[in-house]
Amino acid sequence: MFKNYLKVALRNIWKNKVFSLINVIGLSIGLSAALVIGAMIYYDFTFDKFHQEGDRIYRVTSEFTSAEGNFYNSGVCTPLAEALKTAATGIEMVSPFFTNAPYRVENREMDKVFMEPRNVIYTDGDYFKIFNYNWLFGDGKTVLSGPNEVVLSENRVKKYFPGIAPNKVVGKMLVYNDTVPVKVTGIVKKFEDRSDLIFEEFISIRTLGTEGIQQMIGDNWNSTSSASQLFIKLEKNAAVVPIQKLLEDLAREHRDKEDLVYNQGRIFHLQPLNDLHFNTDYGTFDYNRSQASKPVLISLACVALFLLLLGCINFINLNTAQATQRAKEIGIRKTLGSSRKQLVFQFLGETFLLTMAATLVSLFLSSWLLRLFADFMPEGIGFGLFGSPVLIVGIIMLLLALTFLSGFYPALVLSYFKPVSVLKNQILPGNDKGSLRKYLTVFQFMIAQVFIIATLLVGKQIHFLMTQDMGFKTSAIAYVQTPYNERSMDQKLRFEAGLKAIPEIQTVALGGNPPASRSTNSRGVIYRDGEKEIYSELQLLFGNSEYQKVYRLKLLAGRLPLNDTIHEYVINSTFMKNLGFKEPQEAIGKRLGEGKSSYAIVGVMADFYQRSLRTNIKPMALIGDWSRDQYSQFDTFHMVLGDDASTWAAAMESIEKVWKSVYPEYDFDPRFMDDTVKRFYEQERKTSVLLQWATGLAILISCMGLLGLVIHTTERRTKEIGIRKVLGASLVQLNLLLCKEFLILVGIAFAIAVPLAWWGLNNWLQDFAYKTDLSWWIFLLSGIVMLLIALAIISVRTMVAANANPIKSLKTE
Amino acid sequence: MILQLKNIFKWVQQGGQRVFLLKDINLEVAEGEFISIMGPSGSGKSTLLNVIGMLDDFNEGEYNFLNESVHTLKEKHRANLYKQYIGFVFQAYHLIDELTVYENLEMPLLYKKHSGSERKAMVADMLDRFNIVGKKDLFPAQLSGGQQQLVGVARALIAKPKLILADEPTGNLNSKQGQEIMALFKELNKEGVTIIQVTHSEKNAEYGKRIIHLLDGRQLKHAG
Repeated sequence: MFKNYLKVALRNIWKNKVFSLINVIGLSIGLSAALVIGAMIYYDFTFDKFHQEGDRIYRVTSEFTSAEGNFYNSGVCTPLAEALKTAATGIEMVSPFFTNAPYRVENREMDKVFMEPRNVIYTDGDYFKIFNYNWLFGDGKTVLSGPNEVVLSENRVKKYFPGIAPNKVVGKMLVYNDTVPVKVTGIVKKFEDRSDLIFEEFISIRTLGTEGIQQMIGDNWNSTSSASQLFIKLEKNAAVVPIQKLLEDLAREHRDKEDLVYNQGRIFHLQPLNDLHFNTDYGTFDYNRSQASKPVLISLACVALFLLLLGCINFINLNTAQATQRAKEIGIRKTLGSSRKQLVFQFLGETFLLTMAATLVSLFLSSWLLRLFADFMPEGIGFGLFGSPVLIVGIIMLLLALTFLSGFYPALVLSYFKPVSVLKNQILPGNDKGSLRKYLTVFQFMIAQVFIIATLLVGKQIHFLMTQDMGFKTSAIAYVQTPYNERSMDQKLRFEAGLKAIPEIQTVALGGNPPASRSTNSRGVIYRDGEKEIYSELQLLFGNSEYQKVYRLKLLAGRLPLNDTIHEYVINSTFMKNLGFKEPQEAIGKRLGEGKSSYAIVGVMADFYQRSLRTNIKPMALIGDWSRDQYSQFDTFHMVLGDDASTWAAAMESIEKVWKSVYPEYDFDPRFMDDTVKRFYEQERKTSVLLQWATGLAILISCMGLLGLVIHTTERRTKEIGIRKVLGASLVQLNLLLCKEFLILVGIAFAIAVPLAWWGLNNWLQDFAYKTDLSWWIFLLSGIVMLLIALAIISVRTMVAANANPIKSLKTE
Repeated sequence: MILQLKNIFKWVQQGGQRVFLLKDINLEVAEGEFISIMGPSGSGKSTLLNVIGMLDDFNEGEYNFLNESVHTLKEKHRANLYKQYIGFVFQAYHLIDELTVYENLEMPLLYKKHSGSERKAMVADMLDRFNIVGKKDLFPAQLSGGQQQLVGVARALIAKPKLILADEPTGNLNSKQGQEIMALFKELNKEGVTIIQVTHSEKNAEYGKRIIHLLDGRQLKHAG
């Protein structure tokens, strides 16, 4: 029986090569997208799932509430750890750790120096009680209890002690930051499974000493640094609620008086371990990688789902359209004793064969896609993921679901035929009900249409973002940040002198971040004007007198600060308006702050965008290097290069030479302002590329389905076409007649797609503070594009049909 | 007695009026009979045959087949009944184009759950008996009409039915091929198979032992 079915199925598939091919291609495109996206989702959802009792592990985080909105910090104030240790019941382990890495590691014995090691934390032994590492040497129970101890990962051992067997490394010394000697007391293996805990070097927290912590992080309840983090592990069956309550109490007890005045507050949160990977409020520990985002994964899943649906719809459409061709076989089988159930299974089996073929094709396709999209995806995602049992089972389930989804309806329709009517030829090709097919085609084209509109609009928005004037000069400007640990002014001056000697550089400025950047520095300031008092968060931009020239910041009134360190503000016009001034001139001479720390506004500059156009322009002030004695904020050199881009490479080389002479130990990492601005919109550009692909694929699948339907219809109407032709219809008239049926469907799809797309894109645009219009021409253009594509597909076939010699078609009837 | 029809009526509604396809048909068929049903186009011959073959419903009357009352049976039981006892031969042969002669013959057996070796033996037997061993791997499209109908008859016979229903079996054949098929039917009837055929041709009708004439769905008093 099975063999018979298989034979019939294979012969049928072979007989209808075109339709089978359309089916397989359509399905495999959808499937490949689903596989790739499935792999991405699987990858991101399997982080840190392997920890023993992982559901009891939490990170404690801080949220600050204020009138201007809530701010999140992945760290907590340092005294919290101690308070939790003493006060809480229900907590088994409390492990604070600091992520400030030392800037220098030295292996004196072998005379090796390593700068700025990454993934280093200061922590205590409890960390290893919460997280189970595989110990190669050393004892997880007693390690890191004293000062000046370090546990290294296997990789770090290889790096710091090349050529030495790991068992001999234990007991050897490393020197951190020139002065701190530390003994290696343990070696662990890095987690083999996917984990956000990427630390490789664990220094005992007591190495820092109380003073060290105070200097580095601060040790009071009111200073919070994201570098000071806290993991806790609850006791078995301990409830979260009382601990959350305790955290609330602690926050209230240690509330700052100033916070009360300005109605600000702090909330400590318990962040479950499995939230770590996705929560963008707090981030992970790997700053080199953009964080996984659930909304992005969800929209990707939707794209995959839609593409799969399109493939299924093709299948249903083509198979029901072909039903009359199979009708005879069904009639015969029924008279020979086949039950309806047997027929349904037979057809489902055929569908299964096709989906299997599609799956095989899509496995190849997806391995290619994975390579193609390598830039978009985290490193760990590759074809190897498909070896995991979960994904294998997932693929099989998908295969079955797909078979069922696309095969069940056609199977029902086909098996429903009554043998008598089939065998008496009462099922005339003309009167099979095509309404469902029409709905499905409309649905397909609606999706394709929405994708087209979205692609056009996202493209337009990106164009708008990229071409929008930022309000300052962005072209031909390079900047380079001096090493974090080399703060001496002398070195900077030497570097500056070197830069000034390079002929390609027109202007050199010393300052902080460029006008627009991802990192901001802000403080609260108070402005008192007689009776009213205005408190505002003020972003600070640090720069010397050249800074304004480099970026061509427009001064509306007043002047720049007199020198680099004098305490004077140049505010932007947004802040000026916030303070209640209408004319820039009015603000000059007014003072910000109170008492000793009140300083004058000496200038007003025009607004510019401080970040991407997603965010509004915030109050800002350009100031000098006020605290140069303690901590200089001037750490970045900004250079104007000539307008001729061909000279830049040479200029960069010269700059690097100067760099190497001043900072020989550090890597030279220059940036261009243009690139920085571009990088603001990385997400948007990714979305755009993705949309282009989705659109292309959706159009492809839909058009293949359309082609199938057109082939079927024209075949069915061969006789009609012949008669019409004999009666004198022209080619154009015939084409029009044949196209009309399909163009109406495309038109209906357009009518449904427009409001849907408008709604969706309007939502998407809300993310941007500054946005392009949802112009009517986008919709019109997308409609025309769709129409042209559909017309091209249809007329390929109708031309052939209309051109056919009527004698032939009428004779065979 | 193999089957009995009592006061069978079948009609369709057309424009609010009943149009009768079969009107008060009474028929008894004994085992081993060879009956020809005759009548002009639209007289209800094929409908009657389909009713007998349980492929079509009727609206009124009783139908007993081998002591089972068909009109009270459920679809599934009815299917089992005709699957087991009735073989069909069609005017247009109705072989499955995608299957070879061998596979076409094998198909009815598949639905009756015969084992593989049994099927092989039965198909080989049939091929032998109809002298078409050499054609067993050909597809229907590669055969002449007469050969296709031969296969059609062989397929109807392979499951050893008690009754063969043939709807104008020679309608698509030339006269020589038609005679061969009719001779074959006669042969089979001699071997004890009950046959009911629908035909236009007086000559072919003569092969039957009894002729039933239909006109506008009504049975005419028959001679003999």
